[in-house]
Amino acid sequence: MKPTAAEQSLIVVILGAGKGGSALIELLTRCAGIRVLGVADSNPDAPGLQLARYHYIPTTSDAAWLVARDEANLIIDVTGDPAIPALIARHKSPKSEVLGGTAARLIWSLIQEEHEMYEHLAHAEKLSTLGIFTAGIAHEFNNPLHGIMGFAQHLQGEADPALVNEYSREIVALTRRLSEMTKGLNLYAQTGQMPEMTDVQIPQVLDEAIKMAAFSTMLDEVTIVRNYAPVPDMQANPSELHQVFVNLVINAVQAMNARGHLTLSTGVEGGYLAVTIQDTGPGIAPQDLARVFAPFFTTKERGSGTGLGLYIVRTIITKYGGTIEPVSQPGNGTIFHIQFPLASAA
Amino acid sequence: MALWPFGVHDRETPSLGVVLVVDDEESIRKISRLTLTKAGYEVIEAENGEKAIEVLNTGENPLTVDVILCDIRMPKINGVEAIHYFRTQYPSVQIIVQTGFPDLNLATSLMKQGIVDYLVKPVEKEKLLAAVSKAAEQRTICNT
Repeated sequence: MKPTAAEQSLIVVILGAGKGGSALIELLTRCAGIRVLGVADSNPDAPGLQLARYHYIPTTSDAAWLVARDEANLIIDVTGDPAIPALIARHKSPKSEVLGGTAARLIWSLIQEEHEMYEHLAHAEKLSTLGIFTAGIAHEFNNPLHGIMGFAQHLQGEADPALVNEYSREIVALTRRLSEMTKGLNLYAQTGQMPEMTDVQIPQVLDEAIKMAAFSTMLDEVTIVRNYAPVPDMQANPSELHQVFVNLVINAVQAMNARGHLTLSTGVEGGYLAVTIQDTGPGIAPQDLARVFAPFFTTKERGSGTGLGLYIVRTIITKYGGTIEPVSQPGNGTIFHIQFPLASAA
Repeated sequence: MALWPFGVHDRETPSLGVVLVVDDEESIRKISRLTLTKAGYEVIEAENGEKAIEVLNTGENPLTVDVILCDIRMPKINGVEAIHYFRTQYPSVQIIVQTGFPDLNLATSLMKQGIVDYLVKPVEKEKLLAAVSKAAEQRTICNT
């Protein structure tokens, strides 16, 4: 059902950009028909202010100025500051309604609950992906283990110093390979315990994603083309971006049945940091293209995918004010175009 | 031409048998070669299924190769496809799978196709030698 004109014009002001304000911004920016007019917080480092900037939402430390804007239909107060209700009463336009006090706390609790559910879902999707790759992970680990075991057995009783040296070097190299893999897996499986926002290099995350994809399938017959034009670092939670690109790269490789060209590009287009992921697979049927981001939509065999991958990909991209657009024609492969506003770049 | 117990050999120095080692990883092939040559086998190598088929069809190899030690996950032609080809074209050549995949269903299906053993890496050298020795024995039975 399309929103009516009245629903489309819901314009909201948020006071407070702490945890409650951040959760509100995340949720409201996902809702069609709601526009966040501005966010105010007296603390310039409040996490919600950075989140608002990703979405090009004006931020201010002057709550009175924002409250006085007469376009606002609704002022939501999640500051918890006892002085704010009086400030709102003094400055607000008569047209604006106020959601504050206990009502705002109720909304805040509900949103918090929804947010936690989503976090659990996103983490479950990661773990499920790891579960699906168990065989691939075992394979990738067992090969170097086999080498270590073999060279160690041949070391026993070996008198030739040159051979002792050679076998030890092989063991060291294989152990390093194992260690690199554990690091990659660990980064992928991490939850939100990481520092929330840090500078993330997108090309590096794309390369990590390729390493993860090797667990899902054989990559030897996939030609990987990296068109990395320099891009600024992005302020983000690295674990979330990792999840986005691991999902997209694995989907692309699986779509090609592990044979073809995978092209990864980064660049700056207008005010956006752009990333494209292109495969030479069979493409997505037009009737499926509109549904790829829907939760639980999958064309994979039962047990091979949760159907949550692209849903979570889009949710994370949207959180950073970005967009993702698939372009595909049957027989001509698929391109996913992703754009993040440069406001989120460091 | 001298007729050796395993396959047909006309080389001057008899070996315990000829093993074709198929694995895409160089270090794995190196380990297998070390273990097998030290034990008295002759080793030839291929880095994927396609190469293995090519090697097996070269010269006298179809007659001289006794055992194929084959990985599963490889580029070009994978182990499953290659094994199907070997079993169909050269049923007397014995096959041992040596793979990183602990996959019971695959193991069962390949055992039904007549492979001698399904070894999951990491494989200790004693275990590999026992499997190869058993396979070479079966090759002899096939030839008699």
